[in-house]
Amino acid sequence: MSARVPPAATAVALRRGGGLYLHLPFCRSVCPYCHFTRTAAHDAGLRGRVAAAMAGEFALRAARCALLREGRVQLRTLYVGGGTPSVLEPRLLGTLLAATAGRLPAAADLEATAEANPESFTAAVADAWRAQGLNRVSLGLQSLDDAVLRRLGRAGNAADNRRALALAARRFPRVAADWIVGPGVRPRSLVAELREAVAAGVGHVSLYILEVHAGTPLAADVAARRARPPGGRALEACYLEAVAALEALGLKQYEVANFARPGQESRHNRAYWRGVPWLGLGPGAHGFWGRRRYANHADLLAYCGAVEEGRLPEDAVDPLAPAQRRLERAVLALRTAAGLPLSLVPAGALPLARGEADGLWRLEDGALRLTPRGFLRLDGLESLLARALR
Amino acid sequence: MDNIRNFCIIAHIDHGKSTLADRLLEQTGTVTGKDMSAQILDSMDLERERGITIKIHPIRMDWRAPDGRDWILNLIDTPGHVDFHYEVSRSLAACEGAILVVDAVQGVQAQTINNLYLAVEHDLTIIPVINKVDLPAARPDHVTEQFVDLLGCDPAEVLRVSAKTGEGVPELLQAILARVPPPRGDLAAPLQALIFDSVFDAYVGVVAYVRLFHGSVRKGQRIGLWRGGGDYEAQELGWFRLQRLPQGGLTAGEVGYIATGAKDVREVRVGDTVTLAEPRCDAPLPGYREAKPMVFSGFYPTATDGYNDLKEALQRLQLNDAALTFEPESSAALGFGFRCGFLGLLHMEIVQARLEREYDLSLIATLPNVEYEVRLKDGQSRLVENPALLPPPHELTEIREPIVRASVITPKEFIGNVLQISLERRAVQRKLEYLDTERVSIEFDIPLAELVVDYYDKLKSVSRGYASLDYEYKGHEPGDLVRLDILINGEPLDALACVVHRDEAYQWGVNLCRKLKELIPRQMFEVAIQAAIGSRVVARTTVKAFRKNVTSKCYGGDITRKRKLLEKQKEGKRRMKQVGAVEIPQEAFLAVLKVER
Repeated sequence: MSARVPPAATAVALRRGGGLYLHLPFCRSVCPYCHFTRTAAHDAGLRGRVAAAMAGEFALRAARCALLREGRVQLRTLYVGGGTPSVLEPRLLGTLLAATAGRLPAAADLEATAEANPESFTAAVADAWRAQGLNRVSLGLQSLDDAVLRRLGRAGNAADNRRALALAARRFPRVAADWIVGPGVRPRSLVAELREAVAAGVGHVSLYILEVHAGTPLAADVAARRARPPGGRALEACYLEAVAALEALGLKQYEVANFARPGQESRHNRAYWRGVPWLGLGPGAHGFWGRRRYANHADLLAYCGAVEEGRLPEDAVDPLAPAQRRLERAVLALRTAAGLPLSLVPAGALPLARGEADGLWRLEDGALRLTPRGFLRLDGLESLLARALR
Repeated sequence: MDNIRNFCIIAHIDHGKSTLADRLLEQTGTVTGKDMSAQILDSMDLERERGITIKIHPIRMDWRAPDGRDWILNLIDTPGHVDFHYEVSRSLAACEGAILVVDAVQGVQAQTINNLYLAVEHDLTIIPVINKVDLPAARPDHVTEQFVDLLGCDPAEVLRVSAKTGEGVPELLQAILARVPPPRGDLAAPLQALIFDSVFDAYVGVVAYVRLFHGSVRKGQRIGLWRGGGDYEAQELGWFRLQRLPQGGLTAGEVGYIATGAKDVREVRVGDTVTLAEPRCDAPLPGYREAKPMVFSGFYPTATDGYNDLKEALQRLQLNDAALTFEPESSAALGFGFRCGFLGLLHMEIVQARLEREYDLSLIATLPNVEYEVRLKDGQSRLVENPALLPPPHELTEIREPIVRASVITPKEFIGNVLQISLERRAVQRKLEYLDTERVSIEFDIPLAELVVDYYDKLKSVSRGYASLDYEYKGHEPGDLVRLDILINGEPLDALACVVHRDEAYQWGVNLCRKLKELIPRQMFEVAIQAAIGSRVVARTTVKAFRKNVTSKCYGGDITRKRKLLEKQKEGKRRMKQVGAVEIPQEAFLAVLKVER
C-alpha cells in the first residue's frame, strides 16, 4: 500500500482544521541537554512496536472523536518530531503516516515537516520522505563549529552538518535549521555560520538559548561546575547580533526564537502559540484536542502497553480552566512578533510607557511587541504578566 | 480557712512547670486518667506547642490526704515570660506560697531569680524544688547549693522531684500542707477580692478570676470594682476545675471566679479590687498597675480587602487580652492597618500567630519599635509610637526613649560575650556578681529599643542557650537618636523607617540596604535602595533589572510546563506587596529584624 499523504485537492471545504504531531523517540546517541522523550537503546523490534502503537493510538482517539473518525478535520500541518525521526526506517514511517495523517483530508497547502539529525539524514531518507509527501525538513544543526558541537555533546560534526544542509536544500522546497547558543559560542562565528546556512538554502532558523533542564546530564555537569550555561553579556551579544544578521539576510523574527523568510514561517509551530488544536501521538507526546491538553506516557513500554490493551496512553490530562486559558493566551502572544494585544494586559501589570521609552517593546496596532532586547527579558516579563492576571 | 493552701509555681521556661502541675492534678485525684492529657493547664494550642505558658489557668484540688484530712489546694499557674511581669506579680499576690522549680540540669535562671524576688516581696513561703532529677545529666547537689545561696535555706528543705516519673511528688504535696501558711482573713468584713486574671466568655461576659481576702460574696449580689467602678451582678460564681464549677458563694481565703456580665475585658482589669456594691471595703488591695504596652508594630493585611477582617479579629482578641492596644493607621507602602501595642516581643509574636492561625489572616508586621517621647521646639512634647511619624530633626529639641533595667544570668565563661553584645547595644553596666562559683548575674540599663530587635536571640546564641534575661521598665531618657528612612527609587518606604542611635545609623543603613537587596527580586527596571537621615543619603544599593533569561523553546508540552511554572510564581504573589512600581516581598519588612551589626 502506498504510504502517501493524500493529495490536497479536496473538494470538501472543512470548517475546522488542525495539526498532527508524531513523536518518534529514537536517537543514535542522547544529547546531554535534551529533556524530551528519547532513547538510544532501541532495535528494529522496539521501533516497529512503537510505530504500531502510534497507529493504534490514532485509532483509539478516532473512536472517541467523531470529527477524526469521519475525517471531518482538515489536516493543515503535520510535524514529525523526536527524538530523531531520521533514525526510523523510512518504510515504518510510511506505514505510520498512512495510518494517521493518511486518514484525514489534507489542506491544499499542507505543511508537512520532519526533523532530521545530519548524521542520519541520508539521500535514501530524503528521497523516501519526499515520496511520502513531506515538504519541509528541519535539521538539528545546532552549530557549524566542531568545538561547539563537541561541547554540546552532539554525535555529528560540522562536516556532517554541511553535507546534510546541501542534501536538504537539493531535495526539499523548505529547509529549516536549529542553532543552540551554548557554551563557547561567539557572536562573530555564530553570525558567519548563519550567513553560510542561509546562502546554502535555509529559509527558517530557530535560535535556541541552551536551557538546563533538571534530570539531564547537562544539569549534573552544571551542578558539578563542569559546564556553565551561557549568560549575561555574552548571551546578550550572541542573541542580538544573530537577530540583526538574520533580519539583514531577509529572515524576519516572528517569535522569540524563530526567524523565517516571509512565507516560510513554521505554520505548525505558530499554531501552538495561537491555541489551534493539534493531535499529538507517540510516547511523551502532548496534544491539545477537544479543549483539553493531554500528555502521553513517556515510558515507551507503558505507552505501548496501554495502547495494546486498548487504553488511551495518557499520563496526564489538563482541562483548561478559563483563567489558565487566558494565561496561556497572553504569555504565548507575548513571545510572538505579532505581540500581545493590549486588551489582554491587565491595568498596571507592565510599565507600558517606560518599557517603550527604554526600547524593550513597541506599542503599535493595539499590541505590545517586544523588541529583541525585550525578548531577552521574556521570562521575567511573563511572570509579571502572570501575576497581574486574575 | 485552715485547710486551704493557695500557691503558685515559679519556673523558667522548659523547667517543667506544666508537667509538674499535671502530676499534682493526678495525685490529688482532681483529674482522672481519661481526662488527662499532657500539660493540661496550657489551654491554648500555641502554649502547648511552644512549651510556654501564656495565660494563667488556675485549678482547685480537693484532696483527702493520706492522714485522712480534707484539703483545698488552689494552684495558680503563672506565665513564665518576661513580657508578663505584671501578671506574674498579681498571681503571686493571690497566694501564700510558691513552689520554686529549677531544672536539675540547667540550674537557676534569670527569670527564676526575678520571679523569686517578686515572691519574696509578696512575703510568700518558698518551697525549693529541683525537677528532672531522673535525667542522667542532673546535678541536684549543685542546684541545691544554688538554692542555699539564693534563699539562705537549709539543704534539707530542698525537694527533689521528677515531674515526668512522679518521683518526689507525694513529698511535695506534704510540704505544701506543712509549710505554706493558710490564708488569713476576716469573714465578717466587706468583700475584698483581687482580680488576678479576667477572660471574656461569649455567654456570660467577662469572668474575673479572684482571690478573696476578706468577706464573702453570693450569687446574685451586686458588686463593684475599686478602679474600674461599675455596678455588676455576680451572675455566676464558683471554683476552678478543668471547667468552671458554679457554687452558691465564695468566702475569704478562697480562689474562684465571678461572672460579671461586663462586655469589655478592659473594664475588669487585672490587679483591680472587687467589693460589694454595699457595703464597700475601706481600701483597694495594693499593687494595681495598668498594663502598658511597651512594644509597637504596624499590622497590615496583605490583601487590600483584609482591613475589616483584621479589625474584627483584633477586637475579638482584645476581649481576652487587656494589654493589647490598637489604633488605625495608614502607610503609603502598606495601605490601611493598625499600630498595635504589646507588652513585649513574645506578646507580639503570640498575637500575630493567633491572628494568622485562629483568624486565618495574612499579615505584614513592621519592625517592632518602642514609644518615643519627643520634645518640640515650641515647648510641647508628645509620644510617638510609629517611627515614620517622628517629626523632622529641625522641629525637635530632644528625643527620649524607654530604658529598662535588664538582668542576665550566665555561666561565667560567657561573661565576655554577653558584655560585648550588650555594650554594642548601648547598655550601661550597673552590677556584676557571682551567684556561685559558676554563674554570674549582670545588671545593666539598656534602651528597650535595643532589646526588642534581636537581643534575646543574640544572647541565646552567644551563650549557647545558657544565659537568661529579665527586664523591667525604668523610665524614659534622652538619647542621641535619628530617624533612618529607607527609600525605594527615591520614595520613602514609611513601613521601614526606624529610629536608631546616631552613631549606628550609618552601619545600620548599609546593612539594611544590603539585606533588602537580597530580598527584593529583580524587576523590570533597576531598583535603587537608599538609606537616609533627613535629606542625607548614608547608604545606597541597587537591585538590577531582570536577568536576561529566555526560555526559548515553547512547543507542545512546553506550554503546559511554562503555565504551571507561572501559576506557581503567581501563588508567591500573595506574599508580595506592590509599592509604586516595585514588588517587595513581605520578608523585606521583617528584614530589619535580621540585620547584622
